Amino acid sequence: MNLEELKLDELRADALDKLRRADSEKALSELKTLLFGKAGTLTALMRTLKDIPPEQKPQAGKLINDVRVELIELCNAQEKVLHKKAIDAALNAESADLTIDKPIRAVGAIHPLNQIRKRLTDYFVGNGYIVYDSPEVETDYYNFQALNIPPDHPARDMQDTFFINDGILLRTQTSGGQVRLMEQYKPPLKMICPGRVFRNDDDSTHSPVFHQMEGLVVDKNVTLCDLKGTLEGFAKFIFGDDTVIRFRPSYFPFTEPSVEVDVSCFNCHGSGCRVCKNTGWVEILGAGMVNRKVLENCGIDPDEYHGFAFGMGLDRITMIQCGINDIKQLWENDVRFLRMFR
Amino acid sequence: MKLPLNWLKDYVDIGDITPQELADKLLSIGFEVEEIIAPRADITGVVVGKVESIVHHDNSDKLWICQINIGAQTVQIVTGAQNVKQGDYVPVATVGATLPDGKTLAAAKLRGVDSYGMLCSGSELCVDDDVIDGASVDGILILPKDSVAGENIMRTLGIDDTVLDVSITANRPDCQAIVNLAREIAILLGKKFKSPKLTYKTIAACEIPAVEIADKTLCSRYIGRIIKNVKIEKSPKWMRDRLRLCGIRPINNLVDITNYVLLEYGQPLHAFDRKYIDGRITVRKGAVGERITALDGKEYSADGILVIADDKKPLAIAGVMGGEYTSIFPDTETVFLEAARFERSNIRRTSRKIGLRSDSSSRFEKGVDWQSVELGSERALALVDALGCGQICENHSSDGVPAPVEKIIKTTKDEICALLGIDIERKTIISILKKQGFTVKTEGKTLICTVPLVREDVDGYPDLAEDIMRFYGYDNIVSTHSENTHQTRGGMNTHDINSDALKTRLTSLGIDEILNYSFVSPEQADKLLVPDGDALRREIPIINPLNRDVSVMRTQTVGGMLSSIAGNCARKNVVMRFFELGKVFIADELPLKALPQERDVLSIGICNDGDFYTIKAIVGEVIKLFGVAAEFAPSTASYLHPKLSLSVESKLICGQFGKVHPLVCESFALPSNVFVAQLDVTEALAEARDIAKYTPISKLQPVDRDLAVVVERGAPVGTMLAAVKSVSEFIYDVKLFDVYEGEQIPQGHKSVAFSMRLQPVDNTFADAEIKRIMDAVLKKLETEFGAKLR
Repeated sequence: MNLEELKLDELRADALDKLRRADSEKALSELKTLLFGKAGTLTALMRTLKDIPPEQKPQAGKLINDVRVELIELCNAQEKVLHKKAIDAALNAESADLTIDKPIRAVGAIHPLNQIRKRLTDYFVGNGYIVYDSPEVETDYYNFQALNIPPDHPARDMQDTFFINDGILLRTQTSGGQVRLMEQYKPPLKMICPGRVFRNDDDSTHSPVFHQMEGLVVDKNVTLCDLKGTLEGFAKFIFGDDTVIRFRPSYFPFTEPSVEVDVSCFNCHGSGCRVCKNTGWVEILGAGMVNRKVLENCGIDPDEYHGFAFGMGLDRITMIQCGINDIKQLWENDVRFLRMFR
Repeated sequence: MKLPLNWLKDYVDIGDITPQELADKLLSIGFEVEEIIAPRADITGVVVGKVESIVHHDNSDKLWICQINIGAQTVQIVTGAQNVKQGDYVPVATVGATLPDGKTLAAAKLRGVDSYGMLCSGSELCVDDDVIDGASVDGILILPKDSVAGENIMRTLGIDDTVLDVSITANRPDCQAIVNLAREIAILLGKKFKSPKLTYKTIAACEIPAVEIADKTLCSRYIGRIIKNVKIEKSPKWMRDRLRLCGIRPINNLVDITNYVLLEYGQPLHAFDRKYIDGRITVRKGAVGERITALDGKEYSADGILVIADDKKPLAIAGVMGGEYTSIFPDTETVFLEAARFERSNIRRTSRKIGLRSDSSSRFEKGVDWQSVELGSERALALVDALGCGQICENHSSDGVPAPVEKIIKTTKDEICALLGIDIERKTIISILKKQGFTVKTEGKTLICTVPLVREDVDGYPDLAEDIMRFYGYDNIVSTHSENTHQTRGGMNTHDINSDALKTRLTSLGIDEILNYSFVSPEQADKLLVPDGDALRREIPIINPLNRDVSVMRTQTVGGMLSSIAGNCARKNVVMRFFELGKVFIADELPLKALPQERDVLSIGICNDGDFYTIKAIVGEVIKLFGVAAEFAPSTASYLHPKLSLSVESKLICGQFGKVHPLVCESFALPSNVFVAQLDVTEALAEARDIAKYTPISKLQPVDRDLAVVVERGAPVGTMLAAVKSVSEFIYDVKLFDVYEGEQIPQGHKSVAFSMRLQPVDNTFADAEIKRIMDAVLKKLETEFGAKLR
């Protein structure tokens, strides 16, 4: 057999013709088997190479291989085209109603009050405060006496107390945390004490259980101006950078001087609205310089150290921040309410 | 405290400052005005008119034509009233006037005669005899003869005053007196304070009961005076008006004077009818069995409480209320006037003990100072004299401690400024203190400040700093940033870090956080089927709860959880997952001797949103968070379904979970498909948690094998799978994929199919090795559970 008898050109033309007609991945796969399979045309051709005269062998080998490589490449290219076509057709055949919403397991919500508590806690922790926990069922000593509120002091009338017995009560304020902390640690101290407090009061604006956050700083050289700076920073964090605060004199037995702290109304910015009762100011917390007697009661020398303390109602701040106008909602545990805060 | 502005004006010229401006200024010195009570706004255009002439209307029997002088002019008014005479002073609603019923007066023609206004009755002005005599008669209100034609009727009636309701902080009991508040306002406005008149005429000394105080710590001063030949009558209108504006009902001149002085000087007084006092006056504790009927008509035990007594009987409960026979009667001739100072905490205790409060007791509770006893007594006598209610004997009878020594505070400008953080000039400091009645001497740098007796609240330089700032202005406090203090580390505590992590995990499982009160109803234990004598029934009771539903401290939180779910179901929201992380209160013994344990309890509830295996999986996640090994056992919780519940025990967490008992569902009005867990996580939250450690991941291919075995129906599949896993260290995971009963399975048996992943460690498995593991698994299942390969 010689080179011409191999009819390479015919074979190539025939293969190209079949390739053109292979219009599916299946047809192409069959064609590949036909050409390159064990019994394939080109495989057979390679086998005939042994019958070629030796002088023509190198040339014949090259020619056969060229055709084979060319056809493989063409097949592969066509395969990609056909695969893409098949995928496109499959995608095209799909149809889904994308307007439907199906439920998934959504995450739950932290109660808004605790979201606010966390924000406030994070702020103070970031400013070097520790978070201190203090008992909710407390002794008269820590809740009152150590805070310069002796038995039968008129200041006790400011807070309707739930009593367990003569010496044990439900804490009416988180301020007891100040005393417990100062007994345990020595200055410099910076702490917040958030938690539940209880007062015998239940009406449209009061709940018998509510939450406070106490703050205490004791160090040398602490001043009333430092208190203002601290609270102003806090107010800006919570209510926005354009917030200003004002001090006005007040009275708490455990601080002297004592101040009520108002923030400029974040709602109307001072022009007067329902939130600030047309005063331009919203009262958010009480504060002052720690009374010398309180420091003494805790074994801290008031001539060496000054302190400031502040206390705020978390429920009130939550209501202000979330626009909740009914304090009862905080305790209703209505799923519709809770899910608003997811 | 009520502050009528006209009363205030007696002592300070407040100029033309508006009530709102005054309120704002008071706020800046620590007195918050809670309310500005404006004068009645429902009457305008009504003035006093003098009837110049009155003649019959030609065309009517009942109508009269009056010419009324209303000051600047005379107007013609036709009236149907029959009680008006020439020369009477009457209220005249002029054209354009508005009356309380909303009517606006217009000019009218009555039977052909022009009428430019209307004469008013008391009821048309909404006033009664309390406001002015004659207001209640059927007809026109005839005003007193000294009325001024043209004057606004509000002025004449004494209803034109604005009242400030001022909140007085507990440290300033001295300002529970109009004169002392007026003093503060005088300083505030830079005006002069005019003191009330304290002088009076006296008659010669007369017999007066001696006064003796048994315990001068309970009553440090007592002054008695005698007023003879008293005339008991109505007090003058101005006094009655002022009392009424302050919420006190006028009674008679003597009682009104004592109340007036209470408001003006903050000094409670008591007027006794002299004829009922036998012998001496003693201030003493009531004896055992002694009783007293107070002015309110009720009888009280005087045992152990401070009383004012004569030689035979208690006359009054000291500082709280007089006895029935010692008040002022219409026939009273001689009055014994008491002014005293009772120790405030004793009054407070007495008042609470016997359940009786009065204006007097609440005033004493706040604190009355030593000086005001005398000032109050003098002022009352000056008023008695001025109003001509009786003759004052010049002598008095008294007992008490000597005048207290005025407190002296030594400080420096630097000490005060170091507390405040701003620099205030020394002379400014001195001047502000002096204005408030402090005397200030200087000795080198030291300021020696003498505190006026009335300022019992002041006892250190921080108090002075506050009084300086009140008038220096808190706006001068600037914001500084603790530049001179130490850097501190700060940080969350372990409890809060763990709580946050726990809450994050729970919310990621689709569970919403709820909050419930810390106190519950004692009946809740019944609803939860808690057995009698169970420790969970040892709930700490509150002595003075709001009501029974919130009267004991909770020992578990599952009750609140179930109530919250039930509340939502009642509102037709029936699908939910809730958790509450809260404290419960565990008493070692009752009554409580020491503070109870406060334990952190997590309760979880799911309603129509999963089954037992859901709650079990959630509990599993919680346990996994704290990385502890847990043992499950049958549950003993009373509120759980006995068969669909488990208890869990581990080093850090223990608790119960499962389906809610059907009887509990009935009590709480819950649907049947509710599952709860209640876990004590106190120890878990207290233990610092490390971040998990890495273990190397094998690069070798795992081998997966499935097995199906047949066991008796009752065999515990979870335990079987755990047994499978324990067979070889190479068994990395065992997963249940089918439990089947029915065709092809013998009666009373089930098929359990599971897959295992075998993970080679050092070398890939040889077939023999895999076979060895599989054989061991089958052997274990056969020996322990009687399982056969299916």
